[in-house]
Amino acid sequence: MEYAIVGKSVPRKDGWVKVTGQAQYGGDLILPGMLHGKILRSPHAHARIVSIDASRAKRLPGVRTIITGKDFPGVKFGFLPITRDQLPFAVDKARYFGEAVAAVAASDEDTAEEALDLIQVEYEELPPVFTVQDAIRPGATLVHDDKPGNVGFTARYNYGDIARAFEECDYIKEEHLTTQRISHGFIEPHAMLASMDGDRVVLQGTKQSPYITWRHLCRAMDLPLSKVRMLNPYVGGGYSGKHDPFDVDFAATKLALVTGRPVRVELTQDEILGMERQRHSKDCWIKLGAKKDGTLHALECKTYFEGGAYVCAAPINTRAFGSGLLIPYRIPNARFEGIRIYTTRPPCGAVRGQARVIARYVLEAILTDLANDMGLDQLEIRRKNALVKDEVATEGTVMENFAFMETIDELKKMVDWPAAKAKKVPFHGIGFAGDGYASGSRARGHWASAAVVKITEDGGINLIQGATEIGQGSDTVLAQICAEALGVPYEEISVAVEDTDASVLEQGIYSSRTTVWAGNGVRVAAEDARRQLAEEAAKLLEADPKDIEFRLGNVYVRNDPKRSITFNEVVRKAYYEQGHPIYGRGSWGMDAGRADWATAKEPWSPGRGSVTMAVEVSVDPETGKVKILKLTAAHDNGQPINPALLAGQIEGGTMAHMGQGVFEECLTDEHGRPINPDFFDYKMPTALDAPHFANHPIIGDNPYGPFGAKGGGESVSSSALGAIANAVADAIGVRIMDLPITPQKILKAINGKQSQERRA
Amino acid sequence: MGMMRRLPRFDYLAPTTLQEACAMLQQHQGQAKLLAGGTDLLVNMKRRDETPQYVIGLKQVSGLDYVRDGDTLHIGPLAVLHQLELSPAVRQKWPILVEACDHFGSTQIRNLATVAGNLCSASPSADMATPLIVLGARLKLKSASGERQVAADQFFVAPFKTVMREDEILADIEVPALSERAAAVYERHSLREAMDHALVGVSVMVQLGRGTTCQDAHIALGACAPTPRRAPKAEAALRGKQLTAEVIAEAAKTASTDADPRTDPEYKRQIVEVLTRRALNRALTEVQGK
Repeated sequence: MEYAIVGKSVPRKDGWVKVTGQAQYGGDLILPGMLHGKILRSPHAHARIVSIDASRAKRLPGVRTIITGKDFPGVKFGFLPITRDQLPFAVDKARYFGEAVAAVAASDEDTAEEALDLIQVEYEELPPVFTVQDAIRPGATLVHDDKPGNVGFTARYNYGDIARAFEECDYIKEEHLTTQRISHGFIEPHAMLASMDGDRVVLQGTKQSPYITWRHLCRAMDLPLSKVRMLNPYVGGGYSGKHDPFDVDFAATKLALVTGRPVRVELTQDEILGMERQRHSKDCWIKLGAKKDGTLHALECKTYFEGGAYVCAAPINTRAFGSGLLIPYRIPNARFEGIRIYTTRPPCGAVRGQARVIARYVLEAILTDLANDMGLDQLEIRRKNALVKDEVATEGTVMENFAFMETIDELKKMVDWPAAKAKKVPFHGIGFAGDGYASGSRARGHWASAAVVKITEDGGINLIQGATEIGQGSDTVLAQICAEALGVPYEEISVAVEDTDASVLEQGIYSSRTTVWAGNGVRVAAEDARRQLAEEAAKLLEADPKDIEFRLGNVYVRNDPKRSITFNEVVRKAYYEQGHPIYGRGSWGMDAGRADWATAKEPWSPGRGSVTMAVEVSVDPETGKVKILKLTAAHDNGQPINPALLAGQIEGGTMAHMGQGVFEECLTDEHGRPINPDFFDYKMPTALDAPHFANHPIIGDNPYGPFGAKGGGESVSSSALGAIANAVADAIGVRIMDLPITPQKILKAINGKQSQERRA
Repeated sequence: MGMMRRLPRFDYLAPTTLQEACAMLQQHQGQAKLLAGGTDLLVNMKRRDETPQYVIGLKQVSGLDYVRDGDTLHIGPLAVLHQLELSPAVRQKWPILVEACDHFGSTQIRNLATVAGNLCSASPSADMATPLIVLGARLKLKSASGERQVAADQFFVAPFKTVMREDEILADIEVPALSERAAAVYERHSLREAMDHALVGVSVMVQLGRGTTCQDAHIALGACAPTPRRAPKAEAALRGKQLTAEVIAEAAKTASTDADPRTDPEYKRQIVEVLTRRALNRALTEVQGK
């Protein structure tokens, strides 16, 4: 199908305002009479709050009000009803270094900060718990008194007779792999502005998924949803780190309610990198068994998720990890246990790719090592075990529209495998990994997407919808879908900001769902507008509405294109002569089933992507330094709506996972205090660290997606971490079992291997 | 390291001459800090690691941002790193300084950070320190009561501490020319390719006599001792010797014993050896190619 706008790398809707510095972000927002808020944080990882005396701080000129945890109604919030364990601020005790204890609103930031110094909090220190080992020890200090064993959430499955299945294997590989805490690393710090509109709060700022914040925040503040209006300015990166309500959202809202004045609260990178959401560290025991010919037969995995003081989105992580082990390869017998452990560290939550990224890493690592031990080819073993289209995976998922095998075959050509294997250079390595990511699978909350396409009387188009532009390009992609469905030029579409009053709020920007879900909502709304316009045009052209075609602003009769009229004329006549303003309405939803959190079963996906990646690295054998040379990806995201933006997702996602692979770690001292919370010491990859990228989209089909699209946010890069780790292992001949793979660890491994070889 | 906060209160003083700046330093001894690029000072102040009562900004003093070449190179107290990168003379005659700039921070930081400030902050991993040490740079320290000269390798006394008195300004950096048969290079190991400090940095200057005989050698180590420092035993192992692969390898091994790393010592010593050997080989090749 030849599209006019879909499939073309049109310029971004937000490109010009961003590169010229005109775009307004949360921290740019100013209202008359605005106050500035600051948050007082716990200086202990675990401490009872004995008393808070804010009287001195309140007397400081310029201070308007001070709030503490007790000013909130005491309603806990959380991802699932059974995991509601968090209050807006700490009340009885602080459970991590940096937990919010109080907040101040003052006339300026300096005064607000000075006031924090004057709030006297008496703490009674409690023993901290920083590691899984400490937390699960019998008699360990409890982070929450009602959570025995410090267990926050557990997911389990058991398919087949696992003991017998391992007996049937010809070769079994076991590994213990650990991964570290990382942070999202968005450049834009959290910044929220709350103001009053009568008895309603207007809250705007740095939210990736305003809907998620809205419903949890209203719950914890005991406010009806209708009393809070959320709207979104431009957002400077999300990576799943701006979904939930944070202390910054609660502080701004409460301070505005108390003072009646607009209040802006902006965090520093110290607070964000050191004290806000991070990715769980994981302790993973994994065992994989295969038949002689490389057919995978049995998998067993137990993983602890160390996630800090509150469960947050952990059920997504245990679920994504468990299901991530079983797709895209066929493993008929499998047992998994994922246990989320409380510690007195900052809470962990959603991070790009979720724990699926880690599951794919551990599975691809052990698969690579098993294949090497058995003398099997890396791509052949993946082909042999790849799930194919419409096959039913072990956990029951039907692999609809699945093109994983095709991506392996395409990649094989792209890297000239196995010929490349023969040209092996010492300390150069290549690693492979794959994935079949379920884009748009259901999480929590309402489950539909809706849009309004409003045609102005001069033929302009306002697209009103609820998905957040967080830098990924959703405004552009949705405008392309709208323009294509409506048959108008892309340039005609203006995309409105997300607003709980004016648009049906999108469920959230996660699970690679926006293109499919929001895209379908927009498509249906645009089709509705087109249907209305076709009726008007049919009158003017004396034709059947069914025969009216729209393309790039021309309206004509099918098979008789000379009978035509411009889009603008149709609109004008509709408004002025027929009294018919054109508002297209549309929504899209499906009975997507519910996620089964306890069994980690993957919910239905309206757009199963697939990807196979190869990463090439070189390692300096004398310093241990890794250079990631090239990333090659063959991927299926259905019909790409905007190929350049899709490539951007591969490159950006890969860089993020590269950080976890070789650079990043959130470090703390023995008191739980962050020691590297800035972009100099917290080592995210820079542009100079980027490899050369080569990627090739295979255009698989997807009857569920708008114009055949599948999601691409996380699905295209979720195998990068595994591929990077496998490439390093190939280069040095040793598997590094704990991330990040630093030069120190590499050098130690090389030295160890050399001395072992000398002994042998 | 404290948490990042708003800047603390301070009084800002804006002298228009170096003499005036010196007088202010003398008047507020111990309570004043000089502000050049501010890439270290302002961050330290926001973290409350430094809380000077007075900040003396040098911006209003004209003529301090020079990079002047002739027989010797003079770098003014307000010259930023990017000026070194842009100077054709530096690129040609003192390329080691350009190498060191190449690795330093980011373009934005190199446009703010001064060479003098990098020395005065005296980080053990300061990128400008070891190149200037092996080049034999001399630092002019000026105060209200006079001025003195200190060799770059005598400048650092402890982490973040130099021989400078609280009333002194680093008024000029003088870098002698390399002799015809000499070359100096900088090798650096860091995790990232940009925006990262050196895990280890090694500068060497090799001067040849007849053939490949080493007439003189300077080796300076960064980030592997409390201060940037010379590697005297390794230098001695080279002087007067034919620079064969074996001699270079041996000297590199010796350099790792000149190092005194406080963190991760085994790893850092190994990196010192590797970088010293690479630097010596590269310097040798460069002299031979002259």
